[in-house]
Amino acid sequence: MLSGNNDEEQDIMFFHRVDSDEIIYQTEKKSCKIIGKYVMGDLLGEGSYGKVKEMLDSETLCRRAVKILKKRKLRRIPNGEQNVQREIQLLKTLRHKNVIELVDVMYNPEKEKMYLVMEYCVGVLQDMLESTSNKKFPNWQAHWYFIQLMEGLQYLHSSGIIHKDIKPGNLLITLDDTLKISDLGVAEALDRFAPDDTCYTSQGSPAFQPPEIANGMEKFSGFKVDIWSSGVTLYNLVTGKYPFEGETIFKLFECIGQGDVVIPEELEDQLIDLLKGMLHKDPEFRIPLENIIRHPWVIRKPPKTLERVPIPPLRGDELHTMTVLPYLYDYHYGDQSSSTQYISERQLNEENKISMQEACTNNKGSSSKKTCKSDGRQTSCLNIRKLATCHPS
Amino acid sequence: MEKVTYNTNSDDYQICSLFAQSLTEVAVVYIARHIPSNTLVAYKKYDLDKMSAEDAELVQDEVILMRQLNHSAILPLLSSFVADHKVVCILPLMGYGSAADVMLRHFPTGLPEAAIATIMKAVLQALVYLHAKGIIHRAVRGSHTLISAEGNVVLSGLRYACPVISAGKWQRKMHSYPASIMAPNVNWLSPELLKQNLEGYDERSDIYSVGITACELANGIAPYQGVSKTLMLIEKVQGILRPLMDSSTYIPRVPIEGENGADMCQDDDDYSSIIANRTFSNAFHNVTELCLETQDHLRPVAKDLLTHAFFKNAAPPAALPRLLYPAMPILQDNLPDNQEDLESMMVCEKLYSLAIDPVSWDF
Repeated sequence: MLSGNNDEEQDIMFFHRVDSDEIIYQTEKKSCKIIGKYVMGDLLGEGSYGKVKEMLDSETLCRRAVKILKKRKLRRIPNGEQNVQREIQLLKTLRHKNVIELVDVMYNPEKEKMYLVMEYCVGVLQDMLESTSNKKFPNWQAHWYFIQLMEGLQYLHSSGIIHKDIKPGNLLITLDDTLKISDLGVAEALDRFAPDDTCYTSQGSPAFQPPEIANGMEKFSGFKVDIWSSGVTLYNLVTGKYPFEGETIFKLFECIGQGDVVIPEELEDQLIDLLKGMLHKDPEFRIPLENIIRHPWVIRKPPKTLERVPIPPLRGDELHTMTVLPYLYDYHYGDQSSSTQYISERQLNEENKISMQEACTNNKGSSSKKTCKSDGRQTSCLNIRKLATCHPS
Repeated sequence: MEKVTYNTNSDDYQICSLFAQSLTEVAVVYIARHIPSNTLVAYKKYDLDKMSAEDAELVQDEVILMRQLNHSAILPLLSSFVADHKVVCILPLMGYGSAADVMLRHFPTGLPEAAIATIMKAVLQALVYLHAKGIIHRAVRGSHTLISAEGNVVLSGLRYACPVISAGKWQRKMHSYPASIMAPNVNWLSPELLKQNLEGYDERSDIYSVGITACELANGIAPYQGVSKTLMLIEKVQGILRPLMDSSTYIPRVPIEGENGADMCQDDDDYSSIIANRTFSNAFHNVTELCLETQDHLRPVAKDLLTHAFFKNAAPPAALPRLLYPAMPILQDNLPDNQEDLESMMVCEKLYSLAIDPVSWDF
């Protein structure tokens, strides 16, 4: 219910922001861009390395996502270029339903851009959590994602790969609700002849680091690092909180270093037992993967009690319609006036993006205030929106 | 023929003749004699070395799926085994080949309406069976509709099918996109499947493909031939249809999309005059429109479609050979004499490159 209200607020918010002058301005800008056999679509997300956009394979018509990496930006990130190289090399060898697939790699030497074409995903676990009022999933949904995370992790570990950065922000969801482990930028591939899984470095996200790393141990078990961060992830999925917090990274690491986890008592006993096992301070005693997949909480399918947390809409579009379509209308129909209605949708999308970004920075209170303003405009824009939602069918 | 067991010993099959090459060129179909029973079978050989890992998996899935199916309108798998480095599937010999094949060879402007009714009816019966089992075919097309010498129609191409049951549950809507690097069936796919959004698709996606197949067989041309894939996508998404072409839909002097240059003109004129002088029944037009409904929730399911007037009067399968005349089926006594082709094929196989005329026929 609450999330539904949120959507409405955001929708109304962007209605109020639509300016007719801008519609014309935007239509001029939007023309079809083709890279290799792929048609470029809209922005899906942005990271420190660059943008992630939607793409369409013009031969198979399969939706794809593309990570666009700019050499200029990569140089500014510590180990940026090596991390990308490593990610490409790792992903090329991997093939599992719960690990993101790298479909294609393209390089534009003039623009110094690299395009990593990946499987298309509609959402990130992190965004799904944030779209809810209490920042957590119902138990059955958390279970559904967790078992997939474990399957993917088991595959990675059996391939001698330590992910080192398991967190809801790196877990993607496809159209059919399959979880994909992504972002192998800081992952480590063990040497084929390495005697064990000893690692020496870690560049993962601080809140998901285990005590042995927080305490600055020189070497540690790589597999157990992933177990810990998966434990923090599970904790986060079912409680909406983090087991360790700290205002600064030092305070956080101090807190993790002590390793005293408080697990909310209202959770099911089996779940508490699993979390305790995964968040055991001593990696020696931390539950290994093969025991997790046999744990009572994991093998038992929890009853479907609460409503499913849906994938949050992209710029107001709950269906996550192909964003390449408007570009294709432009490409195939050109300047014909009949395409105006689609252009307005594109324009609306742009507007909505801006308003969504603002919605992130503003709190709910200020956004609900905005909805009271300018009634006349809302209706005029409502028409455009109607057309826009009609057009796919 | 029913009682014979087809064993998995490749020595028991003697290859007699080359039958067809699969669309995606990963498989070759031969006519072979099963020596113990002295019957003719289709001997389909997949060259795994020429396939991507994904496509090889599709073949594996197809074999597993076909073994679980048993319906008179679905191509049965008689046997399958590995011979040398190839996967071999033994299938019943479908004397006429595919409906698309018959069309291309003998009916370049389209099959007779009566024949299409019989073919579509069988395809819909196969779909009723598949859908009840929770399988969406996803590759209904003329070349996957095979016709036996007796006129029985079976559906093939189960390589692209997907199960509705996943994670132990009957999923209301599907979201998976057919995984094939070649994507050979994309022109037959429904708008909701192509859209790949959270709405997903269900078994009615196959009904759309039936509609496209009806147009394909009636018009005599593959759907969206010469049209770019992306244009096809936006046309389907908007509900712009390319209809059955007859006197009711014929618009004089408007060239067909995809025409290129003067050499096409003569053919185009002949084709146009045939279109202008033929009229499909209202029932045929209506059933095709029902199948090609853009909004999937308004599209009928296979079971309901079979009650349509168009199929009430459909000729029985036994009448198909007459309707398809002058096309003749392959039988024991008229094996195509292409020994030279066959031999060169065998040599070529070793040389790893073949340059024979690819026949648009795919199991």
